[in-house]
Amino acid sequence: MTSNLVSPLRCLTSNDDDRSGSLKLRDLSLATRSGVRGVHASQWLKSESLPHELQPNTIEALPDHRLLMALSTREFWLLDPDNPSGDTEPTFERTKPGVWPLYNQNSHAWLVLSGEPRADMLAKLCGVDLRSKAFPLGTVAQTQMALVSTIIAHHLWRGEPVFSLFIDQSLTDFAWEALQDAMAEFNTTR
Amino acid sequence: MSPSRLEHPFGQLIDRDTPVTFEFEGETVQGYAGDNVASALIGEGRWLMSRSFKYHRPRGPLSLAGHDANTLIQTPTAANRLAEDLMAKDQGTLSGQNYLGSLKFDYYSLLDRLGRFLPVGFYYRAFFKPRGMWRFWENVIRNAAGLGVANLEATPRYTDKQYLFCDVAVIGAGPAGLNAALTAATGGAEVLLVDEQELLGGALTYHRFTLEDDSRAQTLKALSNAVANHDKIRVLTGATCNAWFSDHYLPVFQGDRLYKVRAKTCVLATGSSEQPVVFRNNDLPGIVLCSGLERLMMHHGVCPEGPAVILAGNDDAYLTAITAAEAGLSIAGVVDLRSEPDDLALPAALSELGITLYQSATVYEAHSDKSGAQLGAVTIYPIESEGKVGVTPTHLECRLLAMSAGFMPAYQLACHGGAKLAYHDDKSEFTLTELPEGMHLAGSVNSTHDLKAVCADGRNAGRGALRALALETDNDETVQCERHVNHPWPIFKHPKGREFVDFDEDLQIKDIINSARLGYRDIQLVKRYSTVGMGPSQGRHSALTTARLIADATERTVTETGVTTARPPVKPESLGVLAGRRFHPIKKTPMDQRHLALGAHMIPAGSWRRPAFYGALDHRAANIAAEAHAVRNGVGMIDVSTLGGIELRGPDAAEFMNRIYTYGFLKQPVGKTRYAALANEQGVIIDDGVAARLAEDHFYVTATTTGVDRVYSEMLRWNAQWRLDLDIAQVTSAYSAVNVAGPFSRDVLEQAGCNIELSSESFPYLACREGMVAGIPARLMRVGFVGELGFELHVPSLMAQTLWDKLMVAGEPFNIKPFGVETQRLLRLEKGHIIIGQDTDGMSHPGEVGLAWAINRKKAFFVGRRSVDILMSQPLKRQLVGFTLSPSAPKPEEGHLVLRDGDIVGTVTSCEYSPTLAKVIGLAYVHPDDAQPDSEVTIRTADGVCVQAPIATLPFYDPGNARQQL
Repeated sequence: MTSNLVSPLRCLTSNDDDRSGSLKLRDLSLATRSGVRGVHASQWLKSESLPHELQPNTIEALPDHRLLMALSTREFWLLDPDNPSGDTEPTFERTKPGVWPLYNQNSHAWLVLSGEPRADMLAKLCGVDLRSKAFPLGTVAQTQMALVSTIIAHHLWRGEPVFSLFIDQSLTDFAWEALQDAMAEFNTTR
Repeated sequence: MSPSRLEHPFGQLIDRDTPVTFEFEGETVQGYAGDNVASALIGEGRWLMSRSFKYHRPRGPLSLAGHDANTLIQTPTAANRLAEDLMAKDQGTLSGQNYLGSLKFDYYSLLDRLGRFLPVGFYYRAFFKPRGMWRFWENVIRNAAGLGVANLEATPRYTDKQYLFCDVAVIGAGPAGLNAALTAATGGAEVLLVDEQELLGGALTYHRFTLEDDSRAQTLKALSNAVANHDKIRVLTGATCNAWFSDHYLPVFQGDRLYKVRAKTCVLATGSSEQPVVFRNNDLPGIVLCSGLERLMMHHGVCPEGPAVILAGNDDAYLTAITAAEAGLSIAGVVDLRSEPDDLALPAALSELGITLYQSATVYEAHSDKSGAQLGAVTIYPIESEGKVGVTPTHLECRLLAMSAGFMPAYQLACHGGAKLAYHDDKSEFTLTELPEGMHLAGSVNSTHDLKAVCADGRNAGRGALRALALETDNDETVQCERHVNHPWPIFKHPKGREFVDFDEDLQIKDIINSARLGYRDIQLVKRYSTVGMGPSQGRHSALTTARLIADATERTVTETGVTTARPPVKPESLGVLAGRRFHPIKKTPMDQRHLALGAHMIPAGSWRRPAFYGALDHRAANIAAEAHAVRNGVGMIDVSTLGGIELRGPDAAEFMNRIYTYGFLKQPVGKTRYAALANEQGVIIDDGVAARLAEDHFYVTATTTGVDRVYSEMLRWNAQWRLDLDIAQVTSAYSAVNVAGPFSRDVLEQAGCNIELSSESFPYLACREGMVAGIPARLMRVGFVGELGFELHVPSLMAQTLWDKLMVAGEPFNIKPFGVETQRLLRLEKGHIIIGQDTDGMSHPGEVGLAWAINRKKAFFVGRRSVDILMSQPLKRQLVGFTLSPSAPKPEEGHLVLRDGDIVGTVTSCEYSPTLAKVIGLAYVHPDDAQPDSEVTIRTADGVCVQAPIATLPFYDPGNARQQL
């Protein structure tokens, strides 16, 4: 059956340059993501046998390759980068009071930025120090990038350190162009 | 033929194998890669580069470091570029600027002869009488002093910005900066090293610190290599740190990029500015600072035409003379302002080179050659006392004069941080004190001049930075520097004047003294009256002299006099680089590509872009009419994804809705929608939408496109006080929506496949349902904004484009037509529905705009209740009503005035021609006495034409509302 899902970026990849270290931007907007928030969100994670003591603005890989991201003590995102989303809403769409499902599958586009100079490149668009020393693997920044609210998470994906960028889906086209422009100088063939 | 240059080790910056050419003032100039425009011009013996600001005197470089305004030239794309800052290889056609005629023969130079009639402030006092004369003189003055010409046709360069983060920012890569950077990096800090020159090393690259000059090259090489190979040091050369802001936030300009540096601590090793001697005609081309001559030789391999005279206020000038003589430059003499140098070996060294030494003497006057545009000779007089000369002149023919009266710390960045300058009479120099926390000084900016002391001072600054970072480091070294580099009074007033204190502004000694005599004793007032220090060099070469002159004229100390406030920027900066790459985020709906494919005319709607209508702009009216016709008689579809969406979930959701909105929501049945108007605490209607109750504890509320952020923010703010048990979520981006409207809208949904019973009995007007449409989970609402049978479908955004496609296919048998926001505005106007923000303003309360029905007066509280009660208990002052006009009448536009007996009583808020009704319809605020349907109001339209508009009963179309309830 054909999927009804269409990414605002049509699942683009910035380039086919697989040289080690070169910057690459991928659209993962159709990958599965969900989340909960509320005063009992942490207990809900515990009931689902998920890590429930994550500090705000951190991200942790789960044994099944999903990622759990904490945006506060009451808001958690579950990310499954290798699993395409289905047409239906998440299984825990209706949860109990104090545990409210998030709409992040549709509200935010998901871009993944890989490559050695990713922090330098994002420094052209974002005022947060994203160098590994200040922003190590497992950390999250809720900030602005090119004047657009963005959540930036630093984690491993397929064995490679990457930044996941979550951007309001209505601004994804703009953000993609801004990122492409900023990346140009780093991917110039020498 | 390529110009000849000095051999290695001179010319460190140039590539002798790569000649370059450019055009200056219509003549071809040759240089080498690595040359800047100034060095290439001087390499060909051409010193004249610009004309001065006021008197149009010929000017050439002074500092050769881009620190003065004597080399402002015009490029094809920009005016007022410094010749030292422009690389020769990148240039095409250049010219001088600020002249009438040519650079060599400037008719405006007549002003120089009229200088005595043009004292400081003359135009403040001369051109305002008789009344109105300033308009005439302004043109004359602007033409004479306009500097360069802005090229308005130039293509803007690509400029951008980047943040840089470091532990320690070291500004200045001279010996002090290099040592500071190495010490800090070795101690574990991440270091950013910034220098405005292309070469690391600062003065080490051009100045011999000792007579023997035995260790400079090795020191330079060792430091440069160590820095280049240190993985904790990042180097930015050709980069200018133009300011210091709180918490070590430093703007650094490099080419077309502005780096916004965030440092934890910083070391200023910015060096010092060499000072000129002030004597008659000290501005002639060919008169340079000693460091400028050294840069020419050591960096560019240029040995200017001699003979040269060296005017010394310190020992450093002797060393310049020795370097120049070794390079082959003929030295006509060294003139020392002092009775003897500190290093008594220097006279002997000069003698060995056959250089004549004149002690206790000064150049009192410089003379131009026959061209009038370059130095030809100087007259030397013995000094009898401070600023006074004797009677026996010596005349020396020369083409070049290099001078050094001392050094002024490059204090600007430190002073941006609040540091103070204190003058020390024993050394005749300023020092910096009261540095902000985390700022460290090193080198000559810290009044350290001996090379060993400079290096040690740099290391100490690096240690200071490490301590500020709480990193371990060893104890400071003892730094001692007893060198005197400043002459106490290198100022020689001449009866005929023309002794320039400020080259940028053409200010002479008398201009500064006269300012004090006119009562401007404070240095800040002197600056504002005389404009001293206001030019591009920002007082770099004039602040010290001005302070001394004002101190003398007002009988105060130099410390008491001080210098003017240093403010950013340190050097002129381009507005383009300051602007950087501009970001204009535009929100797009998931159907954006579909709209473009359908030929939509897109318009901004808040931060979104939306289709206004489909088709060409020049057929706007016809396109809108066709779309409206489709909705009224068939079926149309509009993308309403820009509508705000807010989810309210939790046990207290209904209670919250009841408090925040004006209507009652506690008893709203599940599966029903209600109009939701939001008032502020002043009783003004600020937003509206539709509230759908999806479950007992779950509301989905829409808000206006531009108002949703405010609504969401207000909701959060109120619930921070109320602490009700619910979750409030902004889901504008998560849900996208379309409105299928028209008599065939139900048929289209059925054709698309819908698992909800759509009949009017099962799904009546104002009901809401959740189900599947075309295989997509959707929330459906029966709303009547455009006054026809209609369904608003809200679906997850990732599925919205698919929904659009499927509905367009399903609608084909019914000739479905997409319609835009302008058509929607027309259709809702026909129904008399208001748009908050367009038909309301910051004063509109519910009673004025016909929303009294949307107020629940029985409930105890809603936001704005008290104000609404007060406002609605008072007589209306205006009322929003509908009006009509014949199609042939002048059509009012939004904002046109409603008049009553000549007074303004209101404005038109909406007005369109309705093809359905075949007349012009509109909404306007009118006087309450004119609000009845049998009244007429006067509307002043374009060009002041007044029309009489009869008041109409709303809605204009389908008054029984039967169509939307089908």
